[in-house]
Amino acid sequence: MTEKTNSTITKNTIITFFKERPWAQYILFGVLLSSIAFLPQIGVMRNSTMSIFALIIIYTIAAFGLNLLLGFSALISLATAGFIGGGALGIGIFLNMGLPFEVAVLLVILSGIVIGAFIGILSLKSQGIYLAITTLFVQEILRQIYTSVGIFGGERIDIGTITILGGIELNRFNFAHRSIIFLILIAVMVIIMIIFRNLIKSRSGRAFMAMSRSKSAAAAMGVNIMKYRVYAFIIATVFAMLAGVLYAMYYQSAPTRAWTLDLSLLLLAMVVAGGFKSVFGMFLGAFVVYGIPTLFLEDIFGDVSEIFAGLLIILVVLFYPQGLIHSGPDIKKGFKKIVGLFRKKEVTQDE
Amino acid sequence: MSKNTVLKIDDVVMRFGGLTAVDHLNLEIKEGEIVGLIGPNGAGKTTVFNCITQFYDSYEGSITFNNEDGETIDLKSKKVTEIIDLGLVRTFQNIELIPDLSIIDNVMIGAHNQFKTGLVQHLLSTPKVRKEEKRIYDKALDVLAFMNMSDLKDQMVHGQPYGILKKVEVARTLMSDPRLIILDEPAAGLNDSETDELETLIYKIRDEYNASILLIEHDMGFVMNICDRIAAINFGKNIATDTPAKIQAHPNVQEAYLGKGDDE
Repeated sequence: MTEKTNSTITKNTIITFFKERPWAQYILFGVLLSSIAFLPQIGVMRNSTMSIFALIIIYTIAAFGLNLLLGFSALISLATAGFIGGGALGIGIFLNMGLPFEVAVLLVILSGIVIGAFIGILSLKSQGIYLAITTLFVQEILRQIYTSVGIFGGERIDIGTITILGGIELNRFNFAHRSIIFLILIAVMVIIMIIFRNLIKSRSGRAFMAMSRSKSAAAAMGVNIMKYRVYAFIIATVFAMLAGVLYAMYYQSAPTRAWTLDLSLLLLAMVVAGGFKSVFGMFLGAFVVYGIPTLFLEDIFGDVSEIFAGLLIILVVLFYPQGLIHSGPDIKKGFKKIVGLFRKKEVTQDE
Repeated sequence: MSKNTVLKIDDVVMRFGGLTAVDHLNLEIKEGEIVGLIGPNGAGKTTVFNCITQFYDSYEGSITFNNEDGETIDLKSKKVTEIIDLGLVRTFQNIELIPDLSIIDNVMIGAHNQFKTGLVQHLLSTPKVRKEEKRIYDKALDVLAFMNMSDLKDQMVHGQPYGILKKVEVARTLMSDPRLIILDEPAAGLNDSETDELETLIYKIRDEYNASILLIEHDMGFVMNICDRIAAINFGKNIATDTPAKIQAHPNVQEAYLGKGDDE
């Protein structure tokens, strides 16, 4: 009896520990996800499956930026894919120039800040559907630039082995190295989760919400709307370009044709399906919108899997318009019901 | 012992195209005073508020504000977002809150201008950020306790009854260490007991926060009760500015509300 109470007490302390410290939740999540890096090593999982998870993580990171725009600032961007591409191709160019990896990353982040500020200033002139059209054409211009400007190498920029921290070489054709890169991806995602939550729980996070929910109140309370709009676009662009850097790191090559409007829309679907304003929802959204169709549906339905992927997303949006992350209580209820049924049976048997 | 002036509206004219919404208006508010601005619908009351808080900055004439050090500031030289720094803060006729934030987070937005930390520090959640956040949070707790709303602090604004929403807006103004609070129809939509509660609250705010109050209100009983002075306007023009009793008896005010009394 005492043992049981003791274990409930420890269980409760663990739960409160994680409830009070969201960063610990993200780290725990990262640690759990890290197990995927070892599965191909022991032959339980194919390397290609790990690559799908790598893309899910990359999309998750870009989705955080879009979430800040859509969920918190009521701004829209259809150019996310273009920025991911910018990050991937940008780091490719910088690395081929012979710059150290860390310097190249820094340069990509800096260009992300400049481009984000530029888009943010553009956004000051347009609202809602007009902003969507503006960013749609930013996306198309970027796609055109990537495919037709010479420095992007036509089809792709080959990067090859990446040297980080001045000496550690990582090559994707070495499976152990690939797992290490996968772990780096997870680490970056966990960091992004933590700083995203820091941001939204801060004065800046409240300012983003104030400017999108009530312009007059924001102005009267001293929130400079122009400033925060530009901030939102800077962060969204930097996140997307970081996602691009990770893409280039994992695949060690940056294609020019992959960064289409289709991908931008897919990212939009991830944010909506996962849940506006949610942290774990971004991973969930990327998993449902990209992961489930590629991991499971393609095997079952083959060529027509996209139809099912589409249907799945429509169902999610219909039944969980706030995002799948809010399906938690329903799942819990269903689970409790099932457990309850079994328990009842046990009790009756005991009697 | 004449008290210091807080706000002075001097010969202000505001035009929208061919329409003159505010027409050579004058009004002065002194420290610790509760002043009501009344007038029929469309008389330009909210336009006056928008001119004071620089939502409209194309008015003619001058609106000046005296800060605590006795300096006179021409409000036109300030941007709309800088007005709150002076301790001049307002509420809105239609509630302007953030529905998907908790009540205390909404109140904390009233202290937006008191933060010293910036975006990058917020991303990293530095110790300084956490200290500052705690300080503002505690201040918001005090304000909510003052408003008798402590138990509601973590509830979402969305779905709260109207009376609570109105109170949250007032609580938000208190975060700015206000010198002058401008209330746009604070009693609209409140029931009788809520209106009585609001009356006590406004006195309490004046006394404990040493704030002056300017309010627009259609509930005449409430206005007559609470205000030290009332300014009646119609078509943007001053009709009369006087004590409640005299305003009530003023023939021009009665005319503005009821029309001319000649039944020929």
